[in-house]
Amino acid sequence: MTNSIREIRQADCILITGSNTAESHPVISYEVIRAVKSGANLILIDPRRVPLARHATHYLQAQPGTDIYVFLAMAHLILREGLADTEFLAQRVEGFEDFRACVAEHTPEAAALISGVPAEQIETAARLYAGGERAFGTSAFGEGRGHSTILYAMGITQRSIGTQLVQMLANLAMLTGQVGKPSTGVNPLRGQSNVQGACDVGGLPEYLPGYQRVEDDVKRRQVAQAWGLDDLPSRAGLTVVEMMHAAAEGKLKAMYVMGENPLMSDPDLQHVEKALRNLDFLVVQDIFFNETAQLAHVILPAAASLEKDGTMTNTERRVQLLRPVVRAPGEARPDWSILAEVGTRIDRRRALEREVEFWEFASTADVMDEIATVTPIYRGVRHHRLRQAGLTWPVPDARHPGTPTLHVGTFSRGKGQMLPVTAQMPAEQPDAEYPLILSTGRTLYHYHSGTMTRRSEGLAWREPRSYAEINEADAARLGARDGGPIVIVSRRGQVRTQARVGKRVPAGTVFLSFHWREAPANLLTHDFGLDPKAKIPEYKICAVRVEVPKRGRG
Amino acid sequence: MISLTLDGRAIQVQPGTNVLQAALSNGIHIPHLCHHPDLRPSGGCRLCMVEIGGRPNPAAACGLLAEEGMAVTTQSERLTEMRREIIDLFVSDHPLRCVTCDKNGVCALQRYAYDYGISETSFDFELSRTLYQDDNPMFVRDHQYCILCGRCTRVCDEIVGANAIEISGRGFVSHVATPFDWAMSDSTCVFCGNCVQVCPVAALMPRGRIGMGREWELEHVRTICGYCGVGCGIDYAAKDGKILYAQGFPEAVVNGEFLCVKGRFGWDFVGNPERLTRPLVRRDLAHRLGLIDDPFSLPEESVFTSRIGVENFVPVDWETAVDIVAGQLLGTVEAHGPDAVAGLTSARCTNEDNYLFQKLMRVGIGTNNIDHCARL
Repeated sequence: MTNSIREIRQADCILITGSNTAESHPVISYEVIRAVKSGANLILIDPRRVPLARHATHYLQAQPGTDIYVFLAMAHLILREGLADTEFLAQRVEGFEDFRACVAEHTPEAAALISGVPAEQIETAARLYAGGERAFGTSAFGEGRGHSTILYAMGITQRSIGTQLVQMLANLAMLTGQVGKPSTGVNPLRGQSNVQGACDVGGLPEYLPGYQRVEDDVKRRQVAQAWGLDDLPSRAGLTVVEMMHAAAEGKLKAMYVMGENPLMSDPDLQHVEKALRNLDFLVVQDIFFNETAQLAHVILPAAASLEKDGTMTNTERRVQLLRPVVRAPGEARPDWSILAEVGTRIDRRRALEREVEFWEFASTADVMDEIATVTPIYRGVRHHRLRQAGLTWPVPDARHPGTPTLHVGTFSRGKGQMLPVTAQMPAEQPDAEYPLILSTGRTLYHYHSGTMTRRSEGLAWREPRSYAEINEADAARLGARDGGPIVIVSRRGQVRTQARVGKRVPAGTVFLSFHWREAPANLLTHDFGLDPKAKIPEYKICAVRVEVPKRGRG
Repeated sequence: MISLTLDGRAIQVQPGTNVLQAALSNGIHIPHLCHHPDLRPSGGCRLCMVEIGGRPNPAAACGLLAEEGMAVTTQSERLTEMRREIIDLFVSDHPLRCVTCDKNGVCALQRYAYDYGISETSFDFELSRTLYQDDNPMFVRDHQYCILCGRCTRVCDEIVGANAIEISGRGFVSHVATPFDWAMSDSTCVFCGNCVQVCPVAALMPRGRIGMGREWELEHVRTICGYCGVGCGIDYAAKDGKILYAQGFPEAVVNGEFLCVKGRFGWDFVGNPERLTRPLVRRDLAHRLGLIDDPFSLPEESVFTSRIGVENFVPVDWETAVDIVAGQLLGTVEAHGPDAVAGLTSARCTNEDNYLFQKLMRVGIGTNNIDHCARL
């Protein structure tokens, strides 16, 4: 997030798109509710009538995959009506002319035809967002342009044009100067407790800790030297989907999987199973015997987050301290100490002599001290500094108070980069054989592959089984009844689940959550529509058909 | 800024601050039951009555905006008498069964009854509400303790936006209810439990806490939630190594006192008997390494139609397990090169875990094949 979570409550206008905030990030939805109750406008752009739609002042129900046209048309209208922040554009942004050219053809009327959102709604949304207009009440930011913020999540990024969409949202913010100030910005809501931190400290194939590219000779060698080495591998590695392809092709022979469950969470699970079975060696380090562990050669028992210390970095870049609440069961150990042990063994087998500290750490605080030495954005992070409110990176030195709001006065890269955006439809379009669009995601009561939440009494009681949301018109046509069984079929596989008939999804769309091993949504999803830059699969859109099984007579 | 005096002390507050907030933020405690700093003032309990210089009648501090030059008195004989009367009325239909009550020690009504010396009511005691609703595994609604402060209904409306509960009925029979007194699960409730959090008495209690220990016997640990990326601070109350309940806390920088259903009620997986407690090696590898005699081969049927059980693995000690992992990974590197190995690190593990994982892959193995579910 460019801005902090607490800033949302003072925003004058909130644009949420591709985020089911109330179910996937409920506590952020509380901030949104507070803002709306005190007079902020809430513009929600989503094919699915998610719970926050009830609180939206403007709900734009775009057909799946067509939101890009809505955003382009909003920019078109902002330019046509002279609502852009010309001072901001002149002083802080580059690439405006190219961007202006790309939106010229995207009139609200044209977008309305494709997206199904009436042109007037697109125009109103554009005016409200650009001006930071409130529905009622007074702005915390005085006279002049109010402050608008954009919140988005996987509905934007799990798309074949994910990076284009994110760039487009950034374009909208720069066009209207709605960034670099309190309660504004472009704010991705990240889905896991430490997904931000896992990226920050180098859990990515192309980045060393602190987003230093592995191909950057200078930065790579600096990290290598900090570790007492001459150099490190310089070729970017494989992303998760590429790994599965490499394994299936026999190029990848061994995998170490820690705290992940790819045999539930990756796209096209039949292919993932084939890939994992093809490995010579698979080690799974986890807290439960999950789906992936079924194919492991070795399983290492890990401590859960409630049983260990260390730090996690939340979606607003805040590094926070974890403390153990209960003891880990049996011989389960914290991940970091297992990894240090494996590292030591590998060195011993190679007869490598290293400095003692290379793998040996007295505590997680020690590990953080080393992270700080190689990670510029964490340079000033120390455990003892995190006891009160944590620290928001970048924290360039040991006395720096942290940076809750990014891009104030100047962008990290100097000038903000506006880029033209090309609209494009999803990779797999519905056709006669697979006429419906399937979208996958989370429900309020469960989390990812359900390993933890399905073992929680209250959560499992409230949402005990898989279901698919289907529009009442489609259900009537297919003969599916509410609560009755349906089978969803894609080119990859099929899943049997229970129909939840209603108006939450538009006609032509089905929603299925991916928490259920009895009905794994990712048997249906595909891995060929990866975003070319982010390599994220298009979980939000694939083509399916729905069948109603014949009732048994026994 | 606005200047006023509280009990003769000069203080300054932002315009729009009410007198109760002004007092509380300056360390002056005015009793209050219906007020909550994150909720709109309701003025319902009347405990926060104060005297204002130049005005004949006391007024509720929560509904009184601070004004320039205002002279406020928060403690006086008249106010004490009024507050005693109010507490006396509260306990005329609130059982003072503090000895067996799970809220004992953290109950706001108990605190004020103590402060104002009310050990029993001087009115005829009569329970107005007796409903006991135990309709879900997460929290219990015990209406006999309810004082109708309305914090629960306001949090449900103003913060959560679920609007599952409202005060229903009038007079003595009024009570907090879902529409038509439906079960919680038939209402729009999202089970976030923020109503339980703000309840000042024992009317709303976490299910797993009831009868499990007195408040001062519990150990409290503050940590960060392990679910989504919001990073809420959670205070866990545990006894004898077992978690009894989870709650938010005002100092939590992201979420304050508010949590969602997963954060507040979704922690009980930790004690699940299915937890992995020992390193395991699959039987075919164990046989190959000479750890067991019987051969084994992995069933070929898809795991999605025929689940492979944990019984196909044999427990080993950590020494053996780590040695096998190091040996197998290195063997792969020697036979096929470092890029034949890949690792998936975890968005649910700590920075320290992830950092060491990528260091292991980059230095120990020698590959950049590291990713995690940031994309998924």
